[in-house]
Amino acid sequence: MSSEVFTQLVDAHYAALYRFALSLAKRPEDAGDLVQQTFFIWATKGHGLREAAKAKSWLFTTLYREFLHGRRRDARAMSLEDLPPGESDVAAEDVDRAARMDAAAVVAALQEVDEVFRAPLTLFYLEELSYAEIAETLEVPIGTVMSRLSRGKAQLRAALAREAGAKGKVVPFDGAQGRKQA
Amino acid sequence: MSNDEAKFLLGAYRANGRDAGDARFGPALAQAQADPALGAWFARAQAHDAAMAAKLRQVTPPAGLREAILAGARASARPARRWPTPASWLALAAGFAVLLTATLALWPGRASAESERLAAFAISDTANELHGSHGGAAGALQASLSRPDAHLAAGLAADIATLRATGCRTVSFAGHDLVEVCFQRDGHWFHCYIGRRADFPALPSGPVFTERARFAAAGWTDAGHYVVIVSEAGLDAIKHLL
Repeated sequence: MSSEVFTQLVDAHYAALYRFALSLAKRPEDAGDLVQQTFFIWATKGHGLREAAKAKSWLFTTLYREFLHGRRRDARAMSLEDLPPGESDVAAEDVDRAARMDAAAVVAALQEVDEVFRAPLTLFYLEELSYAEIAETLEVPIGTVMSRLSRGKAQLRAALAREAGAKGKVVPFDGAQGRKQA
Repeated sequence: MSNDEAKFLLGAYRANGRDAGDARFGPALAQAQADPALGAWFARAQAHDAAMAAKLRQVTPPAGLREAILAGARASARPARRWPTPASWLALAAGFAVLLTATLALWPGRASAESERLAAFAISDTANELHGSHGGAAGALQASLSRPDAHLAAGLAADIATLRATGCRTVSFAGHDLVEVCFQRDGHWFHCYIGRRADFPALPSGPVFTERARFAAAGWTDAGHYVVIVSEAGLDAIKHLL
């Protein structure tokens, strides 16, 4: 793979990969390491142009695997059977709250969501992958992705409400752009 | 389908509309249009999803991450934290060299090294789905490219400076700008990359054809431009354009 094509690949995907990694790993430095490690694996496995069409899915899958390999499974990685049912209702105030919060507070709320839901939910909000591609990336059935999205969104709305209320991170809404994360 | 089932499905429908062509959502979307309560729920859910996506896009990677990735891959800098050892980077560099050599050896014979790299760049750009806005001036060019009787090798009426100035997507190859315009012919999408001929003096004038994975490409020179067309429609479809 030429350096131009590798640079192209990095430019196309590193920001979205970092956002995904940050939601998983929580610490910016760990997220950066995960992204670097992912591109290193791409390079060392000798992926060429023939695989470029599938690069996006491959990169997200590899980053997720690296994350899983890099941490010990803890009690929060529970099975679906252990989870409470999702609540699908979305109130108008939920929408308003999400629009008013700053990006850092939203990411903090996202990081409160159980990991089993957080990975598909972050990929969904990145809007880079379809539900079918998310299923392929996380190596779970499509129905499982839909279920985890439903339940993850319910957890996220609750976390957003806590974040906005308890930590006072609601900021004045001054148009379409929220305050950027520092 | 109950409304609860429809909500379950529609919860996986991206707010940016990229799932509009997915037939799996069809019945649930139709039900949301027919049922006011479900429709109102879907509107709120999409607004919430769009707000979350917008917030996530505001998260920027730390300064230097991109450069660290590229520097590591070039095997020219000290590895970043938690990267493998320098010995691994030497192996990586050797791997790159072998891969590049193999790639060149397998490429169709007459293409120059620069035309190969440019075709690879254009195919990769297409494969990465980075296509963006084309700006106002691109409309006329798109229309001319889409005309069934247009033979592109005869020359393109493309003013690169005007295209760039009006917002046409521009990519950089070896320090030179290429504008990218997408167009349709016979139901197939084609991606046209146009650079100034003077920027690529070593490129051959005749068409050079390339096939990689599901993509085909052709590159050629006209009076003022170097042009690369990329498509999934196949080599014959591209040859038909010329």
